[in-house]
Amino acid sequence: MDNYNIRALRCENLSFVYDDDAEQEKVILPPPALDNVTVSINRGEYIAVLGHNGSGKSTFAKLLNLILQPTYGKIYINGKDITSEEMTEDDIFDIRSKIGMVFQNPDNQLVATIVEEDVAFGPENLGIERSEIRKRVDEALKVVDMTDYARHAPHKLSGGQKQRVAIAGIIAMHPEVIIFDESTAMLDPLGRREVLNIMEKLNREENITVINITHYMEEAARADRVLIINDGKLLADGTAKQIFSKVDLLHSIGLESPQGTELLAELSKLGYDVPSDAITEDECFDALKALLSQKGGRL
Amino acid sequence: MTKLEVKGVSFLYGKGTPFEKLALDNVSVSFEKGKITGLIGHTGSGKSTLVSLLNGLYKPEEGEVLLDGVNIWQKPSEISKIRFRVGLVMQYPEYQLFDETVRRDIEFGPRNQGLSDEEINERVNEAIRFTGITEDLLEKSPFELSGGQKRRVAIAGILAMRPEVLVLDEPAAGLDPRGRREILGGLSDYVKESGVTLILVSHSMEDMAYYCDNVVVMSDSKVYKAGTVDEIFSSATELEAIGLDVPVISKIASRLKACGIELEGKLYTVGGVRDAIINYLGGNAK
Amino acid sequence: MISDITLGQYFPGDSCIHKLDPRTKIILTVLFIVTVFLVNTPLGFLTILLSVISLILLSRISIRVILKGVKPIIYVLIFTALINLFMTKGESQPLVDFYFIEIYKEGIIRAVFMALRVILLIIGTSVLLTYTTSPISLTDGIESLLSPLKKIKIPVHVFAMMMTIALRFIPTLIEETEKIMNAQKSRGADFSSGSLIKRAKALIPIIIPLFVSSFKRADELAVAMECRCYRGDKNRTKLVKLEFRGRDYAWFGIGLVFLAAVIALMIIPSHITGILPETVYNVFFYKI
Repeated sequence: MDNYNIRALRCENLSFVYDDDAEQEKVILPPPALDNVTVSINRGEYIAVLGHNGSGKSTFAKLLNLILQPTYGKIYINGKDITSEEMTEDDIFDIRSKIGMVFQNPDNQLVATIVEEDVAFGPENLGIERSEIRKRVDEALKVVDMTDYARHAPHKLSGGQKQRVAIAGIIAMHPEVIIFDESTAMLDPLGRREVLNIMEKLNREENITVINITHYMEEAARADRVLIINDGKLLADGTAKQIFSKVDLLHSIGLESPQGTELLAELSKLGYDVPSDAITEDECFDALKALLSQKGGRL
Repeated sequence: MTKLEVKGVSFLYGKGTPFEKLALDNVSVSFEKGKITGLIGHTGSGKSTLVSLLNGLYKPEEGEVLLDGVNIWQKPSEISKIRFRVGLVMQYPEYQLFDETVRRDIEFGPRNQGLSDEEINERVNEAIRFTGITEDLLEKSPFELSGGQKRRVAIAGILAMRPEVLVLDEPAAGLDPRGRREILGGLSDYVKESGVTLILVSHSMEDMAYYCDNVVVMSDSKVYKAGTVDEIFSSATELEAIGLDVPVISKIASRLKACGIELEGKLYTVGGVRDAIINYLGGNAK
Repeated sequence: MISDITLGQYFPGDSCIHKLDPRTKIILTVLFIVTVFLVNTPLGFLTILLSVISLILLSRISIRVILKGVKPIIYVLIFTALINLFMTKGESQPLVDFYFIEIYKEGIIRAVFMALRVILLIIGTSVLLTYTTSPISLTDGIESLLSPLKKIKIPVHVFAMMMTIALRFIPTLIEETEKIMNAQKSRGADFSSGSLIKRAKALIPIIIPLFVSSFKRADELAVAMECRCYRGDKNRTKLVKLEFRGRDYAWFGIGLVFLAAVIALMIIPSHITGILPETVYNVFFYKI
């Protein structure tokens, strides 16, 4: 049991079946949205959860902060079973305040008509004292660089800005883990970059565990650790390098590696001597330069 | 051959209000028949506005939109006929689904065109073929489908009108790589088979480089640059100068070239760079 | 574009009226409405007119904006005036007597003042309340004023929350409606021609998607709110606390004086008949 104390989160045999009419006895249950996932997540990790649309990755996120109750399996936080029936409503809300969640559509998670009042929504629900809320709101807006928009109406902001406000609303609850559930999917490249930068800043500077659920390879490639979920199952778990070098595996489940890695894999198949674990632009460039200058001899 | 042409078009939003904003500033651009033209630019660069002027949803303040050389606003009362000839698929088009079954939803456009049942049926079949909708889905409610399937149904609804020009605003937004490939690949096949003119708006430079013949770059309500894919993506620095991404692969390729490695070919797709490298190394694998 | 419509027509500013506590403004507005309905002499109207003009000046909202606000009710105005014009029977000879149409002097006077009453009502309430109070602080104000009702188990907080969410989503839904309309127009839908039934039918492709997406939004918002630990007003604090300040009390005073003055103007006349010259009296205290 001591082991759990150093793990922020541990999921054991986590399964979930969507069953709309639970009362009716069904002969055939739908396939599980999440199937027997066991994984440990450490405090301060930066994790990407990768999978195609409908792979079960969003279900995973909703289980983690108790929006859904697992059909089977358990989730532990610091050794405490948070899925047990002994959990009171207060306990559950306590966990939700520690595990924040940012969703896909920025419009559908903002509640108030003024930015700072929206950011205050979470702390208000937690019953925090007024002066403390003020402090948290100002700090959170500063972290996402939206201080100048504190008194603006959310519907006048761009998608990226709205999403930053939503993130501030989570930060103001002082969570230890933030799950980004496809939070960049509806944004333009600029908005995506902004949100990604904030994710990384929160991870590095505030030591917040970041879980980015996405189907963008470039985003996953920036994380320290990548989990792949396919058909509800945890298919792979490793560093970005380990995962993206498995180009064939990714293709087989409808995903891709970054372009540079794909190119190296194709060259490798043709018999060229290139590394398969180059992920970033720089790594790929170096690998290709090495290959090309051998033969060209111009460098 | 030019199919659709925009000539000196300007457009203002909220004219006469404090929110007045110039969205298009003297834009001229032409779209070639049977080709796929990509439209790229930042959010707010004017590309979405341009798209909604092409089928007459809005009327330009100045300038004209010419379809086969004829101004689409020549007879304003007949603008709805133009909308059948220039089909527009908006961003996240799954929101437009409303009918009881997928089939009936796809039929909505053709019915508005006043076609016979037989003709409509034929067009529905054609539309689902190119969008990869299986027949068993036709009698289902569109609201039961997955996000990706809804997207296809919405696109099929426009294809079934058999427009001469097809305009799609971010048809693959939010889809995973396989979903993107299937939708864009299907559209690309459709262009080849039917010879329609396709205009594709996307933020994904990788997709643009892979699927388009020509590219128009918009910036600051103006056309910044227009040309073939080769011309646009061979100068990565220019695109980066206005804050647009270029495909990672072309960044790598141009860095290699900068080192004196003379690669030649389509240096903006994975396949293109691969071939260039093989060529450079003498065509023989080790 | 329709999405440019500002909801509730709130104009941000920092005038002394903007700064008032929303509850003060709500109470004053109620007082104002009562006064406008009570007033029945030209002098009373003059008092209200002057106070509305000073409110406009104090709020620093441009006169153009205010006139624009009156524009939509122009037909109501004309209708009210016409009804009063034709339906009022006077004691003297009718000025116009054309078949069944009879117009009396009293009718004209009444029509003018009724129109004035409606105009003052609209301008006064909008300057005092809607133009100068953000929807959210308006909601807060209403919630706070109604909070005694919580004692008899009326879920005031829930209503306030619903109103806040409605206010937050109206611009989003307007934008969405425009988007869906454009999408259906692109599929050849026609909303502007044909019989009434045909036009009503043409709305189906707009209304259904709008409902579907609103339900989806509601669903997602509910989950997002739960993730942010929303559990009604249980143990809930607020960032902004409404507080009456000196200026609020001052304004209450002004409001009460104002109401008293108008009531006085209704009662006094009968006591001062002998003091003022009769012509002045007849003009100022003419009973409308």
